[in-house]
Amino acid sequence: MPDELLPNAGRRSFLVRSTTMAGAGFLSIALPPALGGSDAEAAISATPAYTPSIWFTITPDGVTTMHIVKAEMGQHIGTAFAQIIAEELEVPWEKVRLDMPLESNENFGIYGLAYTVNSGSVTTEFDRLSRAGALGRMVLVEAGAKLLGAKLANCHASAGRVIDKASKRSVGYGDILQKVKLEKSFSYPNDFKAVKLKARSEYKIIGKSVPALDIPAKTNGSAKYAMDVFLPNMAYGALAIPRTRHMSKVLSVDDSAAKSIPGYLKSVVIADHMNKCMGWVVALAETYPAALAASKALIIETDPGPYGNLSLADIKAEFAELLDKPEEAANWVLEGDVEGSMTGADKTLDVEYSSDMICHAFMEPINCTVMQAADGSWHVHVGTQSTSFARMTLTAYLSMVTGRKQEELSVFVHQYLVGGGFGGKQDYDDVLAAAYCAHELGRPVKFIQSRESQFAISHPRTPTLHRLKAGIEDGKLTAMSHDMVSGWMGPRFAVGKKFNNGTDWLQLDSWDDKKQDIDQWSVGGSDHWYHVPNHRVRAWNSDRTTWAIQASALRTVSNSYNMFVVESFMDEAAHAAGRDPLEFRLSMLNGKGGNRGIPNTGYAPGTPSDYYLDQIWISLPWPTDKSWPEYESGTVGGALRLANCLRVAAGKAGWGSKKLPKGTGMGLAVSSAEERQSPTWVAGVAEVTVDTTTGVYKINKLTIAMDMGIAINPENVKAQIMGSALWGAGQVLSERLDFENGLLTQSNFHEYKPVRQVDVPEFDIELIQSGRHPMGVGEPASTIVAPAVANAIFAACGARVRHMPITPEAVLEALKAAKA
Amino acid sequence: MTNLTINGRSLASDSPPDTPLLWVLREELRMTGTRFGCGLGVCGACTVHINGQAVRSCQVKLEQVGTGAITTIEGLHPSNAHPVQKAWIEIQVPQCGYCQSGQIMQAASLLAQNPSPSDKQIQEAMNGNLCRCATYPRIAGAVKRAAQMMKEKKNA
Repeated sequence: MPDELLPNAGRRSFLVRSTTMAGAGFLSIALPPALGGSDAEAAISATPAYTPSIWFTITPDGVTTMHIVKAEMGQHIGTAFAQIIAEELEVPWEKVRLDMPLESNENFGIYGLAYTVNSGSVTTEFDRLSRAGALGRMVLVEAGAKLLGAKLANCHASAGRVIDKASKRSVGYGDILQKVKLEKSFSYPNDFKAVKLKARSEYKIIGKSVPALDIPAKTNGSAKYAMDVFLPNMAYGALAIPRTRHMSKVLSVDDSAAKSIPGYLKSVVIADHMNKCMGWVVALAETYPAALAASKALIIETDPGPYGNLSLADIKAEFAELLDKPEEAANWVLEGDVEGSMTGADKTLDVEYSSDMICHAFMEPINCTVMQAADGSWHVHVGTQSTSFARMTLTAYLSMVTGRKQEELSVFVHQYLVGGGFGGKQDYDDVLAAAYCAHELGRPVKFIQSRESQFAISHPRTPTLHRLKAGIEDGKLTAMSHDMVSGWMGPRFAVGKKFNNGTDWLQLDSWDDKKQDIDQWSVGGSDHWYHVPNHRVRAWNSDRTTWAIQASALRTVSNSYNMFVVESFMDEAAHAAGRDPLEFRLSMLNGKGGNRGIPNTGYAPGTPSDYYLDQIWISLPWPTDKSWPEYESGTVGGALRLANCLRVAAGKAGWGSKKLPKGTGMGLAVSSAEERQSPTWVAGVAEVTVDTTTGVYKINKLTIAMDMGIAINPENVKAQIMGSALWGAGQVLSERLDFENGLLTQSNFHEYKPVRQVDVPEFDIELIQSGRHPMGVGEPASTIVAPAVANAIFAACGARVRHMPITPEAVLEALKAAKA
Repeated sequence: MTNLTINGRSLASDSPPDTPLLWVLREELRMTGTRFGCGLGVCGACTVHINGQAVRSCQVKLEQVGTGAITTIEGLHPSNAHPVQKAWIEIQVPQCGYCQSGQIMQAASLLAQNPSPSDKQIQEAMNGNLCRCATYPRIAGAVKRAAQMMKEKKNA
């Protein structure tokens, strides 16, 4: 077996001594000599590598390897993290490398939860990585000064060398490591707190568009995704498309036809412990084409279960009924007196919005290869958003399958590049299925979803229905009511999942006592940053929908529909109030009250921002007191920063000044995805031309201004903004999933249509680098395109479409309604 | 057994003759740079060249290859020296990277046939290749840049 496939947990764990496992919060520099152990360990210990924190290792050749626990799925996160560390550590960029630590029970104790989600990687890790780099530099400067016989005060580090100002002599980090035994240890978080960071004006690598380290392997075929793994004696698995998305039960499998396919081995009904993989039958064969052919040749008798007759039309009907039952609603926002102020308003607006299901449709279909090694340990090869949850979920599952206790099972997860995640590679059903097949066959199994089975078992964004009311007085929006119903994804994720220490990792209560038990992943975005004195958001859960479609997170989660609704509605309110949509928005983005932002709280406990961040996002078990370094909250500046983005975008697009031909219009939108606690401020203008005879419309241009605080790598930020904006274009133009008799019906890319090259508009992107704490950039721009386009269509021809996606037929219908 | 010429080398496959070339390349010969995306010829992730022509390898059966010379991403240039690869790196096109082997092979075939494509021709030639990260603007930019590099090289 190639080295890269062997477990290396032992190696890492002795290079890094971390007692955070024991809860004391302590990191030390563990330096090699004489640690004993196996030959392999002895060989490694002969190399005086320097690993002052878990995040990087410097070797005597001067190479610094950054250990990246976040999934590399298109955002170039490894490069961003390396830039942050390299900046403070002062290592030369050309000697920076990346690796991905193995996920194991032991490494979990060191690295914490490996989970990539909510555009949160840079936001949550920036401060800590900066401090880790600075601590490493401190130790090296001290050691270098001694070696040079220089005064510490005269020494500084630059590009991998310690330089003595007085003698003008210097020594490289690599040489230091060969000559000096480094033993200094730091207490965590206190030493992290004390370390002096660079002034942002001194940055040399942060803010520079260095080429992404993962790109060259992606242009010559050498990049490794999970599907590229080969294990000895490996078989292949293909899924027979289940009768329903969820809860069907296999009664019998007739594989007599499959048996005539050369290479066919057997078919396996996946044990559906944990209510995953229900109704799944996997055909196993010596090759993937044989497995795929066999999966289609199986004759499977199924009990379709409770959702066998359920269709999208039924879900929509249930949504409408639920909205009429106020007693079943939960409050998400409750400011002022909405009912009272509606009664007193001069003008009211009462409209209904809705959105269809869409799915991730990543280019890399879900796949996973699992092997049980000779020592009984399990090895999972997968590209996933959370190697930690993959390991925990599989451990629990294998315990049920084998009847052994979880602590007796040893599971390792090998992370690969992820061929697109978008929130959809965090369900682990593939991991369970592959492992079950490997267990049943007694051989390693590579399980690959065909595109057809991938669509059938996708985890879609829930359909939604919204009723909104506006109360307008003296041209001002004095009251806003937003009722929404959807399938709540939170409960599906939270049920039965616990951290190793037994605590729940997601609680369905909230940090604000005005709010009630609610799934914030389903309502986020409706709690916008406009100052509206009387504001209420209520939400209903259609639990049946959640489970029947297996609702999940999809790029910006609920913002992806809520911003379409809120920003279209704001446009309607502006027109109802007889005001310009730009001026109307700016007047309410005044940074007053709760919309001023929270100063300097970072993700400290006891503030709203820790609602689940300290439970889920971060990659170390934080201490439970408030002793760690505080850093600036992304909310600083509040709505004023959003107003600024809007002014910039509108100005650049020529709002109100550019002459547009008949049938062409501009629309505005703002967004602060992802969460109220973790906003990235973004505004956009869409310029759209509508053919009023066919309803076909074209997005000519998107102008986007984003304030992300600090852009770690500006050119990459622009790429992320363009990509996510085009994602947003897809969901307004053409993407939708159907659900019929319990099954998602689109089967491949001829039926499910993401944007293609011909759909690309002109782009004008402005990065507003306010110097504030850096925020995530891979998702937020995706939320502004649909509403900006909807508003532009209205501006172009007077058609107000309140459903997403916006089809040409809907445009024609809305035109007719406008003329009536 | 089927004899194949791939990236200038003679190789043999034991797969049944109706096996899609994609799976022969990836899983039998372990040249994994060619990616599986849809199996229906509608996403372009599996694009390779046969006699210089871009084809979807998931739609080509082993028996259909005959004496055709196959070029995969590994054969374009292993150290990224082909102008299309150079342009792709210079413009920093890939995000998740999964579709990019196919995009690059499609672009290389376009430029071999049309050294100076117009914007519209680029759009049309590349429209069959899906990119879910939507790196499309940079793909189009990189095709133009590669065309320019090829011209410069020719004139040098």
